[in-house]
Amino acid sequence: MKSAARDIVSRVISNERIADRIHDIRFALHSAAEPPLPGQFAHVSVPGVFLRRPISIAGFDPASRIARLIVRVAGRGTDILSHMKTGDETRMTMPLGNPYPIRELTGGEIPDIWLVGGGIGAAPLLYAADYISRLAGGRAGIKTFLGFRDAAAAFGASEFEAYGETSLDIGGFVTDALTESLGKKIPDAILACGPAPMLSSLQKICARSGVRAYASLEERMGCGVGACLVCNCGISKDAGDEVSYKRVCRDGPVFPLPEVVFK
Amino acid sequence: MNMSVDLCGVKLKNPLIAASGTFGFGREYDELYDISCWGGISVKGLTNEPRTGNPPHRIAETSSGILNSVGLQNPGVDAFIREELPWLSRMGVVVIANVAGATTDDYTEAVRKLSDSPVDIIELNISCPNVKEGGVHFGICPKSVSKVTGAVRKRCLKPLMVKLSPNVSDIASVARAAEDAGADAISLINTITGMAIDARTRRPILANITGGLSGPAIKPVALRMTWQASKAVAVPVVGMGGIDTGTDAAEFLIAGARAVMIGTANITDPTAGPRIRAELENFMSENGVDDANELVGSLRTD
Ligand SMILES: Cc1cc2nc3c(=O)[nH]c(=O)nc-3n(C[C@H](O)[C@H](O)[C@H](O)COP(=O)(O)OP(=O)(O)OC[C@H]3O[C@@H](n4cnc5c(N)ncnc54)[C@H](O)[C@@H]3O)c2cc1C
Ligand SMILES: Cc1cc2nc3c(=O)[nH]c(=O)nc-3n(C[C@H](O)[C@H](O)[C@H](O)COP(=O)(O)O)c2cc1C
Ligand code: FES
Repeated sequence: MKSAARDIVSRVISNERIADRIHDIRFALHSAAEPPLPGQFAHVSVPGVFLRRPISIAGFDPASRIARLIVRVAGRGTDILSHMKTGDETRMTMPLGNPYPIRELTGGEIPDIWLVGGGIGAAPLLYAADYISRLAGGRAGIKTFLGFRDAAAAFGASEFEAYGETSLDIGGFVTDALTESLGKKIPDAILACGPAPMLSSLQKICARSGVRAYASLEERMGCGVGACLVCNCGISKDAGDEVSYKRVCRDGPVFPLPEVVFK
Repeated sequence: MNMSVDLCGVKLKNPLIAASGTFGFGREYDELYDISCWGGISVKGLTNEPRTGNPPHRIAETSSGILNSVGLQNPGVDAFIREELPWLSRMGVVVIANVAGATTDDYTEAVRKLSDSPVDIIELNISCPNVKEGGVHFGICPKSVSKVTGAVRKRCLKPLMVKLSPNVSDIASVARAAEDAGADAISLINTITGMAIDARTRRPILANITGGLSGPAIKPVALRMTWQASKAVAVPVVGMGGIDTGTDAAEFLIAGARAVMIGTANITDPTAGPRIRAELENFMSENGVDDANELVGSLRTD
């Protein structure tokens, strides 16, 4: 696949704090940028730190060409990003990486897709929910399972509710409510993003119930485009197969969950 | 304005070469811009057999550079020749095959295969700090540099460039050892061994514990070594380490480099190639330099 990524200048048009250390930043995209898909990310240049920062696309409006990034303050780079003001400009390469295979999954039918997000992992799923809903003409019943470490850090729940049934877990395991729901019904697929322990336990649950699942992974990045090989994650096509390293930035960040090898 | 330079009989249309390990085999960056703007491309370090490399994390950030511990992940020299080279050799750039190995036989076998391929230059990487055997061990003392260079020279039908490690006490004697053993050119510097620690968890950030430092952080060391090596040998020197602007590139040429390589700048700015090329041309026209060769070794110390 020939990537359509471009290195572009984007301008902040708003920056709103939506939860504890969580900022919702909207960028007006340069005309050269290709529309991103859910699961893809931007590699964002942050003034004052050396490397760019990978941030998932949390929303994109094709009409206004406004992209949304939801940033959790995790360290120096994301702290500087969270302080960007309306009118500030920065370079970003986007859209990068492979998206969630939503079109392949839906195959023209009204999809039954569930979303599982932990913490900042809810960000790319917001775009997935919006995208699936638009594909299905608003008739997709998207079930969402969200987990946050505490109430102050929770975001997005009311937005997800507009797309379908949403369960919110604070301080526990997001997978508990999921396991219960899977006992009643198996969806076409699960799309997930969150911390590795959550994804690892989700992997076991999905294997048990035989549901297809895709997860977006994180790893420290250099180039973000697939050239430097620093963002490796272990992938094994079939259980027992040899583990090979794939690039999170280029071969992912979305991988079929059964193939991911957790440490 | 003449930007072209001659590197051991190979003509580069400009003195800018993408440094090994930061540019893959060129395909990813060719999607962002036309990679023929480079004078040359040094591909990801190749070994005779495929290598999986080190576990994550492989990168740590510093205030003006990065530490990496990729550990020579590559598909092996056969797959490179079969799957990557046919495409890359049509791109209008000089192709430099960067070769590494754990033993002298690994080096000679890979170089033998590459000698039958359309690569333009072979760059012997005896300076990778991120692998347990071989790599930098060959590059740390003049005697082992001489041994591996001499063994490869016998099998090498292409111009041979030897890439030196900065992790040595006397770069001039290492450069001379490579030249005496048959190197047609010297490139330097590879990364400087370093480490990063997460104080909160008291753990190293890199799974490999140590890694190689690159980027602007190492530029002063790289400039100094480029200057020292170019005074020590008669063969051309290719300088690198922290080049991020056209003026940085000019500084290396002035220090004595015939050409320069650009690595980490590709990582921090994916369009560094065309940008630095335009900046170097600007620098030359603003300073009344109409031939890049005029800069080479023009350092004034009077
Ligand atoms: C594909 C992808 C999508 C992401 N999407 C989002 C998102 O939508 N919103 C959001 O807030 N965060 C997202 N992240 C995580 C975000 O990139 C990190 O939180 C951020 O890089 C941390 O930078 P820092 O300077 O604040 O932290 P520091 O800890 O100071 O960073 C030090 C270095 O480690 C890297 N690093 C630290 N944590 C991570 C991490 N979790 N993942 C990758 N690199 C890391 C940094 O990039 C930097 O190079 C995503 C990560 C990936 C890989
Ligand atoms: C991620 C990464 C991978 C590298 N891999 C190789 C390699 O395979 N072979 C090699 O000779 N040098 C390798 N290098 C070293 C660079 O080619 C270069 O010598 C060094 O980074 C200094 O230049 P810079 O500061 O412009 O990056 C690598 C550097 C980086 C950052
Ligand atoms: S960050 Fe360079 S290959 Fe993924």
